[in-house]
Amino acid sequence: MKTQVNGTNGGKWHDRYPELGTGPIPIEPYISREYFEKERERIFRKVWLNVGRLEQIPNPGDYFVKDLAVCNTSIVVVRGEGGTVHAFHNMCSHRGNPLVWNAKGKCKTFTCRYHSWTYGLDGTLRYVPDEKNFCGIKKDTLGLTPVAVDTWEGFIFINTDPTPRETLQEYLGEVGRSFTGYPFAEIATGSSAWEIDVNANWKVCKDAFQEVYHIFSLHNRSTGAAFAGKSNPYLNVHELAIFATHARISVPASLDWRPSPVEALAKRYGMLTLQKQNSSSRGMPAEVNPTGAPDWSFSGFICFPNTCLYVADGGFLTHTFWPLSENRTHWEARIYFPKAQTLAQQFSQEYSRATFVDGVLVEDGGMFEKIQSMLASGAKKEIIVGDEELLIRHHHKVTETFLNA
Amino acid sequence: MSEYRLPESFQDLVPYLAWSLPTDRERSAKRQSSTMAEINAFYQAMLPRMEEVLSYLALYPTEQVPPEVQGLLYLTLSLAKIAPAVEMYGEPNAEGLDTLRLVNVDIYPPRS
Repeated sequence: MKTQVNGTNGGKWHDRYPELGTGPIPIEPYISREYFEKERERIFRKVWLNVGRLEQIPNPGDYFVKDLAVCNTSIVVVRGEGGTVHAFHNMCSHRGNPLVWNAKGKCKTFTCRYHSWTYGLDGTLRYVPDEKNFCGIKKDTLGLTPVAVDTWEGFIFINTDPTPRETLQEYLGEVGRSFTGYPFAEIATGSSAWEIDVNANWKVCKDAFQEVYHIFSLHNRSTGAAFAGKSNPYLNVHELAIFATHARISVPASLDWRPSPVEALAKRYGMLTLQKQNSSSRGMPAEVNPTGAPDWSFSGFICFPNTCLYVADGGFLTHTFWPLSENRTHWEARIYFPKAQTLAQQFSQEYSRATFVDGVLVEDGGMFEKIQSMLASGAKKEIIVGDEELLIRHHHKVTETFLNA
Repeated sequence: MSEYRLPESFQDLVPYLAWSLPTDRERSAKRQSSTMAEINAFYQAMLPRMEEVLSYLALYPTEQVPPEVQGLLYLTLSLAKIAPAVEMYGEPNAEGLDTLRLVNVDIYPPRS
């Protein structure tokens, strides 16, 4: 007989994965500096992290910089001469100056602003001004320090572990395989991105994107009714699937929803970021709509530790949560849709942007700082996680595995 | 006063040219600083014309847009921005974060 533990006993999804256990979840991981430092050392500095997409660096010489405070570094990701993608710690070998000072750009070589030491796109040290005054310098030992980099379906991942324990393919595992073949590159010819620093633990933010139970309530003025209709008032999902490290979620929309007037106009000229009804998963890998449901709307690849990738019909999006401290997070939200060919399509995409900003960034984001304050108050020691919130429990379980390794 | 004109067939929208703003930040700021009455008036003026406006805009590729067509496009982008205020919230802003805290970033390389 199962122990009764106050509303957290199990249910359809928990029963599939009894190894996750049941019961309340401690608040400590959301507020503790010590815990944050353990996450930094044993997770963030050891695993593959998504830092962008190949469309950001299409041609040789294109680069972008990623400040990774949680990995104690800043990296440059660059498309090399022959098309290979390189990543380096953003640090001149001379005296530590960050080599690249702007967020993105294009160049033939990297030249340090301090003393003009110059590096090739492959990181080799090419030129030291006044070289004769560096007696016996061996330039071939003074290249930029590389960072492991690899790609999956156009997503660029880096690993700051000098000897990564597994390949990217191995790390992404079964969930990576599930989403392989979705038309990412075809869609990602256009993108809109937002960034914000919020005063909340990164997991407080991520948790809002690991469950759709909140949609009927928090989003009741915006997207609530479009997803949680009469026959599914709390938006129970088609599937929650967990694997060793990552997880999958498959979500329906309400067939009762009628688009608002401007939404209907926008739909006429393009697919919206989160399509509601009449979404088709045709042409996508089967696991994206694992139940083959006609009311399928979107699916999520919850990529441990900190990226949530959501795919829909004609568009996809990512949320990445970069921890800055135990109570501060740099949140990046990116939506991808094919580049607009006409001005009418531009209008349609602007509507997608507006509803994404309001219905997701504003509505979800507004809560995070308030939640963090109350978690830190000490008024309670635990949070309660229901059956449809299984992925939150899974995240903590995976973390435990890494922290206890 | 907006520097934009509008195409011949949309002169009835000239009174709303203050909403014809070229950047996302300006359009967000205008939404935030407008009253619901002002937002509703703009919405009510645009909505009945939108089928015709979009059929017209569908004919234009996104490059080398004539200025008066640009002006019309920006009106529609403002409509997209304020539609949630009218259709969902009944007030100028969504409940939550101040949108001006969000930094809209351009992650793709500039078109050469």
